[in-house]
Amino acid sequence: MTTLLEEVPPPLAPVPGVAEALGRRRRRPGGRLYAALRWGGALVFGAVVVALVATLVSGSSQAFGHFGLSLLWSDHYSPAKDQYPTGVFIVGTLITTAVALVLAVVVGVATAAFLSELAPRVVAAPLSVAVDLIAAVPSIVVGLWGLLVLTPAFSHHVEPFLKTIPVLEWFFHGAALGPSMLLAGVVLAVMIVPTVVALSRSAMTAVAVADREAARALGATRWQVVRTAVIPGARTGIEASLTLAMGRAMGETIAVAMVIGNSYTVPHSLLAPGATLGSAIINNFGEAAPGLDRSSVVALVLVLVLITALVNVGGQLLLRARTRSARR
Amino acid sequence: MVHHSEDGDRVRGSSRPGGRGLWLPLVAVGAAAVLAAACSSTPTAAKLKPKDTTTTSTTAPAPTTTTTAAASPSTTAAKSSAAPATTTTVKAAAHSTTAATSCSTSGGTLSATCDTQSTSATLTGAGANSIQPFFSRVFYYFNQADHGVNVNYSPAGSSVGVTDIEQDTVAFGDSEIPIKTPASGTGGNILQVPVDLGGVALSYNVPGLSGGLKLNGPVLAGIFLGKITKWDDAQIAALNPGVNLPGSTIYPVHRADSSGPGYDLDQYLIDTAGSTWTGSAAGTTASTKWPITNVGVGQQLNTGVATYIQQTQGSIGYVEYAYSVQAGFTNAALLNTAGDYVTPSQTSIAAAGAEASGLSATNFNIVNGAGAGTYPLANFSWTLLYQKQANAAQGVVLGKLVDWVTTTGQNQAKALGYSPLPANVVALAHSTLLQLENSAGKPLFSS
Repeated sequence: MTTLLEEVPPPLAPVPGVAEALGRRRRRPGGRLYAALRWGGALVFGAVVVALVATLVSGSSQAFGHFGLSLLWSDHYSPAKDQYPTGVFIVGTLITTAVALVLAVVVGVATAAFLSELAPRVVAAPLSVAVDLIAAVPSIVVGLWGLLVLTPAFSHHVEPFLKTIPVLEWFFHGAALGPSMLLAGVVLAVMIVPTVVALSRSAMTAVAVADREAARALGATRWQVVRTAVIPGARTGIEASLTLAMGRAMGETIAVAMVIGNSYTVPHSLLAPGATLGSAIINNFGEAAPGLDRSSVVALVLVLVLITALVNVGGQLLLRARTRSARR
Repeated sequence: MVHHSEDGDRVRGSSRPGGRGLWLPLVAVGAAAVLAAACSSTPTAAKLKPKDTTTTSTTAPAPTTTTTAAASPSTTAAKSSAAPATTTTVKAAAHSTTAATSCSTSGGTLSATCDTQSTSATLTGAGANSIQPFFSRVFYYFNQADHGVNVNYSPAGSSVGVTDIEQDTVAFGDSEIPIKTPASGTGGNILQVPVDLGGVALSYNVPGLSGGLKLNGPVLAGIFLGKITKWDDAQIAALNPGVNLPGSTIYPVHRADSSGPGYDLDQYLIDTAGSTWTGSAAGTTASTKWPITNVGVGQQLNTGVATYIQQTQGSIGYVEYAYSVQAGFTNAALLNTAGDYVTPSQTSIAAAGAEASGLSATNFNIVNGAGAGTYPLANFSWTLLYQKQANAAQGVVLGKLVDWVTTTGQNQAKALGYSPLPANVVALAHSTLLQLENSAGKPLFSS
């Protein structure tokens, strides 16, 4: 072993002039500016994250001091005591996000595959532009549309229809009122599907043509090409799009508040009204009096940030574990 | 071989962008068509907007027709609720005009020393959502009468109005509930002026029940606590002999945000429903936050509640009376202290206002007042402004504006379903405005 080490050639002698040339390049003002920008950007970004968390922690400390850690899962609401049912909001956030993600995966990935693989270009090009346009629609517009158009449509047509489907009806018992967890999930899906479609489509278009050709050469049908070559090849991009979409769905405030029904109770059905962290924050923050009330609302914001971070990190760990087991 | 296949790929790959390039013009044409459609539809939408030739920044919709007035404030209300950014409006400084201007504003009762006055100003306010239809109309007419003054009012809610004036980010705030006295903020002592008299309607949408529904405190409490769930419940039937009540389910709707109407109804239920209400999570102190949030549906602002009532058969909810008038709702008659069932109307709400003796920012509650024809859910809306106006020119304009609102402007209140202020309340507003002073402590108004 030692002999092997000894056989390693000694480091090359520095070539004269190279170090000087590198050094000179380094000392150029442009390079220095770029380095400063790089470091400055990284520092500012880090500082913003630290400042954000610090503000939330200090802002909510009064509430945590008053209610203790049980604030994180409490289901008790008392406006007189400035106490909010955080647990109820967490459940509502997770349910609406799940509904939106299921729709986003099914509709979004299918649309992306259709646009990138199957659609004739006459259809694909304008449709892609339309999807990008919808992705840019502000959430208040989607919310208003949900309140004025989707709510009556859901209470009169969609929800009664869902109640007639066997097995699935279990999710949809109770009165069809319009404002509900389901409607909130659908409104969220309308907002995140374009993101999923746009990013997944780019990822699918970027899959090497050789992969498709290989699948086709083995006798794969168009659908099999998509299933066996395109979607696996684009998986990282699709997953990234879903992560982004999930973040937006969890944190959405105003559009959800307009259609969810704002009932502070654990929903027994997807048709029941509920509340999410986002909707509770927007309904209460503007009106929260300084002191314990505001601190309690800031605590909701902190919980929302923590949950979003947890779900994101958890999702990525899960994906990484799956990727590793798939490689094995 | 390998090289060859790569070449093939490249050819195929390059055909794609080329193909897309061909379609770009088509996309552009499509986008242009969409744009053209949007533009051609704009004039139709613009017809609903105020015809505002003299001003650039006022948001007050011109109430040219009743339908316009009904449509515009609801859109504004929904928008502002959605964008919290509008609540952080910055106090606009009055643009001082160099030319000497006339002090007289048609209507109004205040007279000021002319040397500091400027009639050209932009005033920014924020606060109660319930008063928005009145404010948007009255500010528009004030602008018509006194061309220099534009008012931007953000109807984000009473508590926002209180916070904004306390932090001195607006020229005036407005709240359905006065601030606890002594009221003060970063700009010193805050004056509270009653500016309008409104009521809270319990509106319902029950097919087969066209009107004449009578309700009292205990039954209303039962409905909002989820204990009374059918329209033909025995307790409702007992109050409504001879009325054909349907057997459908009751869907109560409440405000998801803090609200003046919610405070009034909470106060009425505390006064009249006894332990049914006070023994629940509601407690014994009235709150702007609706206390029972696990029953029925919560919607944002008067607009949201009104939309839900319109859309949902079997629903009942509380909205500012002016909103229920604009929406054409059927309203329940409520039991008052004299033992009468009274529906909300300008007359019955005015009767409640007339009963207000010794009204002040501390003695503001007129819920469940005395008198036979009195509607029990009535309240004054309060405009909040600093006693010391650092910018005296703006202070004079502001004082004159509020004075005009409480006097001449009350005619506009009548047109919308609000009731005009009784004489003793107008006098209270006038005497409160006389306390306005400049930064040196010199009164802005003489009489």
